[in-house]
Amino acid sequence: MSLEQVTKADQPATDDEAMLVRVQREDFSIDEELRRVRRRSKRIGGIAMFLGTARDRSKGKDVDGITFEHYEGMAQKKLREIRERAIKDFGVIEVLVLHRYGEITIGENIVLIIAAAEHRAEAFRACQWAIDEMKQITPIWKLEHTPEGEVWVEEHP
Amino acid sequence: MVTIQLFGMTKMLAGNQGTLSLALHDGRRVKDLVSVIDAAYPKIGELLQKKKVLVSVNQEIAHEDLEVNDGDEVALLPPFAGGSHRSTR
Repeated sequence: MSLEQVTKADQPATDDEAMLVRVQREDFSIDEELRRVRRRSKRIGGIAMFLGTARDRSKGKDVDGITFEHYEGMAQKKLREIRERAIKDFGVIEVLVLHRYGEITIGENIVLIIAAAEHRAEAFRACQWAIDEMKQITPIWKLEHTPEGEVWVEEHP
Repeated sequence: MVTIQLFGMTKMLAGNQGTLSLALHDGRRVKDLVSVIDAAYPKIGELLQKKKVLVSVNQEIAHEDLEVNDGDEVALLPPFAGGSHRSTR
């Protein structure tokens, strides 16, 4: 990538706060999302990341694929709340929260949390809290496709 | 009439409908809505009674005494992918 392209990609039009919280069908680039977070502040000194991917096994059963359904509007609202609370309560500089919906192939990315702070301790804490909280309060549902049929997943320890 | 959005297993239990339109005659609180759903869709009603499925009004989990007004956005929320519901507040 040339220097010009990098500069173009850094324009604020595509880098507003809305891009830091997204529910989207398409896959995401971890590098691109990391750059998006790093651009937010030069004070960042530690970044923790959680990437959730689609595994081929669930509760001892084979899984061929997963479909995620979300409540458009409420899902985004809850993810925005998570970002805002993580920043406020954990003293981190920036948090990015992404979740995919639709059909996901085994091995693909599902969810990404990036927490950036001055130091690692806050980044780790905020990142762990954000993914735990996301699983509790975000209206997103998982349909697992198994050889025996499709199952809506209720709980995940 | 109140239009209720359905997701996940509740959609399946309602015969793969994405929404339900229900008339509320006896009261307009969330618990009145639950009674109407229970009569029409007993399987969903049972999950609502057990609090496995929650009601949201205007994108927030609603208490059973909350009044549902015309134009409110109402949805039935089965257990989320990541874990059990925390509370009904």
